Amino acid sequence: MSDSQPKAPSRRKFLKTMGISAGSTAMLAGLNQSASAQSSEPVKIGCPAPLTGIVAADGIEFRRGLEMAAEEINAVGGILGRPVELVFVDTESKGDDVVIQAAQRLIDRDKASALVLGYNLETGTALHDVAADSGIVAMHSNTVVAHDELVRSDPEKYWGIFQYDPPETFYGIGFLDFVKGLEDRGEFTRPNNKIAIITGPGTYSTNIANAIKDNADKYGLEVSLFESVNVPISEWGPTLAKVRADEPAIIAVTHFYAADQAQFMNQFMSQPTNSLVYMQYGASLAAFRDIAGVNSEGVIYATVIGALQDEIGSGFAEKYVGKFGDTSSPNGGGQTYQALHAYAVAAALAGGPGEPYEEDRNRMVADRLRNLIYRGPMGTMRINPDGQSAFCYPSQTNDPSLGMPHIFSQIQDKAVGGVLIAPSPYDVGAFKLPSWMKA
Amino acid sequence: MGNNNLRRHLLVAALIALAFAVLPLFVTERYFLGEVIIFLIWSIVAANWNLLMGHAGVFSLAQMLFFATGAYGVAVATQFAGLSIWLAIPVAALAATLLALIIGAACLRLSGAYVALLTYAIAEMIHILIVTDTACFRQVGGSCLQLFGGARGFSRFEDFGFRPLLKADWILGNYYVVWAVFAFTIFALVVVIHGRLGLGFRAIRDNVGYAGSRGINRRKIQLIAFGISAFLTGLAGAVYAGHFRFAGPSLFEFSSLMFVLAMVIVGGLGSTWGPLIGAAAIMTVVEITKELGDARAIVLGLALILFVLFLPKGLAGSLERLQRATGLSRKPGPEASTSKDPA
Repeated sequence: MSDSQPKAPSRRKFLKTMGISAGSTAMLAGLNQSASAQSSEPVKIGCPAPLTGIVAADGIEFRRGLEMAAEEINAVGGILGRPVELVFVDTESKGDDVVIQAAQRLIDRDKASALVLGYNLETGTALHDVAADSGIVAMHSNTVVAHDELVRSDPEKYWGIFQYDPPETFYGIGFLDFVKGLEDRGEFTRPNNKIAIITGPGTYSTNIANAIKDNADKYGLEVSLFESVNVPISEWGPTLAKVRADEPAIIAVTHFYAADQAQFMNQFMSQPTNSLVYMQYGASLAAFRDIAGVNSEGVIYATVIGALQDEIGSGFAEKYVGKFGDTSSPNGGGQTYQALHAYAVAAALAGGPGEPYEEDRNRMVADRLRNLIYRGPMGTMRINPDGQSAFCYPSQTNDPSLGMPHIFSQIQDKAVGGVLIAPSPYDVGAFKLPSWMKA
Repeated sequence: MGNNNLRRHLLVAALIALAFAVLPLFVTERYFLGEVIIFLIWSIVAANWNLLMGHAGVFSLAQMLFFATGAYGVAVATQFAGLSIWLAIPVAALAATLLALIIGAACLRLSGAYVALLTYAIAEMIHILIVTDTACFRQVGGSCLQLFGGARGFSRFEDFGFRPLLKADWILGNYYVVWAVFAFTIFALVVVIHGRLGLGFRAIRDNVGYAGSRGINRRKIQLIAFGISAFLTGLAGAVYAGHFRFAGPSLFEFSSLMFVLAMVIVGGLGSTWGPLIGAAAIMTVVEITKELGDARAIVLGLALILFVLFLPKGLAGSLERLQRATGLSRKPGPEASTSKDPA
C-alpha cells in the first residue's frame, strides 16, 4: 500500500509550504466570486450524530465543528452563493437501526444534499446503503476497515461514501512502531518485556487490540494480560489487580470512551505500576483531562484524526476553544469541521451540490472529493481510490503532505492538553517519562 | 356473547390490517414507510408482551430477549449457516420459542415480582455475555466477528432481496413482509385473547387458587402464554433484522425494554388494542421530542408515571370510558376488565 519512497522535505520548508497553501476558505471565496449565484436556496447538510448516550461528548463536538465550518463557509458566500444549513438527528449512541432511520430522515424529510458526520456507535457501514440508495455524498470518520472492504466490493454502488480518515488497522502496528522509536532514540527503556492489553468489546477497539497482540512478539514483547471489559466501565479494580499482580512495561488501553479511560487513570494512580500507559483516542478529548485531572499527566494517546499543533491546527484550536469554551475539544470538532470545508470546496468545484436522488450532480461532487487534496487542521485528507478512505501518514505514504497523520501525543500539563510528540514533521515536543515511572 | 366478541375484534383486526395494506398507495416517502415499519414491529412486540403480562399475568422482563433472539437467529442462520432468510425467519422464531419455554420452565416456579427479577437477570446475563465476547469466531475481511456478533452485533447479512427486484421501491417489499407478520399476529392474538385460551389466561391471572380448583394448571397455561408470546415476538425480531440487516445488543438494552413497556402501559395493559394505540402514542411523542436530547427520556418517564397513577387502564381504557359516557358502547368491553370474564 505504501507509495514510492520520495525524499522527505525538511521540517521548516514543509510547514512553511503548508501554511501558505492553507487558504481553503479563500479558495472557496474565490470560486464563489467567479461564479454567479445558483440560487438562494440553502444547501442542507445532514448529520446523524450521537448527541445523547455514552459517546455524546464526541457527538456534541461533531455538531460544534460543523457549526463553526458552516459559519465560515457562509461568511464567504456559502457554496456558489447558497448558504449552508445544518440539520442534526440524534442517534443516541445506538446501533445500525437507529443510524439508518436517522440518515433516512435527514434525506427524505430535510432534503439533505449530503451527510457529513463524525462516527456513530454502529457497525461502521450502516449509512452506506441509505446514502447510496438516495444518490448523495456521505462523509464519515467511523475509522473502520469494514468501510474500505464494502466500498471495494461494489465501487459503482458506493461511489459517494467517503471515510475521511484512515481505517483503524494502522493503529496497532503504528503504536508498536512508536514505542520502538522511543526505545531507538533512548527516550524510553522498557523495564521488562511484558505488555498488558485492555480492550473494550467493539470492533474498533478489538481490531486494534488484536493487531497489537498479534504483532507484539515481533517487537520482543510478551502479552502478559489481554483483558476485555464490559463498557461503560467505572470500576477498574479487578483489571488493575491483574495488572499489579504481573507488572507490565506497557499498558495499552484500546477501549476508547474518554470517561472510562479517565476513571482508569484515577484508579491506576492510587498505586501505579512502572508501566508506560497508552490510551486509544479518548484521552485526546478534553473530557478525559476534566475527569482525570492531574492523573491524566503522562498518558500517551494516538489518533489518526487529531488537531495538529502547527500553524493551521493551532489557529483552528484557538478559535474553536475561544468559541466553545475551555472544555471543548478541537480534536473532536476538527473532524467534521475539516470534512465540511472539504465538501464545500468539492461541491463548488463541481458546480454545486445536488438534491437527494439527483445522482448525476452528486456524482460530480464525489469525483471532485475523490481527487481533492485538502489540508485542514487535522492534516491532509487525500482519498485512497481503493476503498475511499483517507491515506495514512506515515503508514501508507512517507510524504506528510499526502496523508492524514497518525499522531501520538502525551499529556504533560492537564491544563493545556496533549503535546504532539510524533510523527515528524508535526511533532512539537519530546516524550517525557511519566512521573510514576522509574528512570 | 363470546363468539360475537371474537367476531367484533376480528372485524377490527381486518380493518386495521386493510388500512395498513393500502397505506403505501397514499404515502411513498421512504422515511415515513420506514417509521410505519418500525411502528408495526413495536406493535407486535408490545401486543405480545401485553398477552403475557396483561392477560396471562406473567410479569416477565425477558420480552426484548425474545425479540433479540429472533433478530440474532436470522443473523446467525444467514451469516454462519448460509440459510435463506425466508427459512431463517421461522427458524429464528422457533428458537425464540424454545428459549422462552426453557426460561419459562425455570421462572414459572416463582410468581409475581420474582419472575420479573429472574427474567430480567437472565436477559441481562445473556446481554453481558454477548457484549464482552471478543474472541474471534470468524475473520470477516480485516475485522473479527464474534459468535454472537460481540458489542457491535451483526450487519449486512442477507436481507429480503427486494433491492434488485423493486429497485428504488425496495422498501415496499420490506413493508409488506412486515405487514404480513403484523396481520398474522393481530389475528392470532385476537383468536387467543378472545378464545378459550385467553379465558384460561385471565382466570389464572385473576384468581390462581380458584382457577386451580377448576382444573387449570397454572404453570402449563402460563408456559403456553410464554411460548405463543415468544414465537410472535421472535417473528417480529426476525423481520426487524431482515429489514435493517442488523442484529445487535442494543435491541435488548434496558432502554429498549422501557420503551416498549411504556407502549404497553400507555396503551392499556390487559386490553386487546391498547398496545397498538400505545405504540402509536409513544412513537409520536418520540418523533415530536427528537430535538430534546436527554430530556426525551424524562418525557417518556413522566408519561409512564402519569399513566400508572391516573390512567392505569391506559388510553384504551380511557377510550372505552369515553364510549360508554357518550352511549356508543352499552357495556364494558371484556379486554379492559381485569377481573371479569371476557365472554
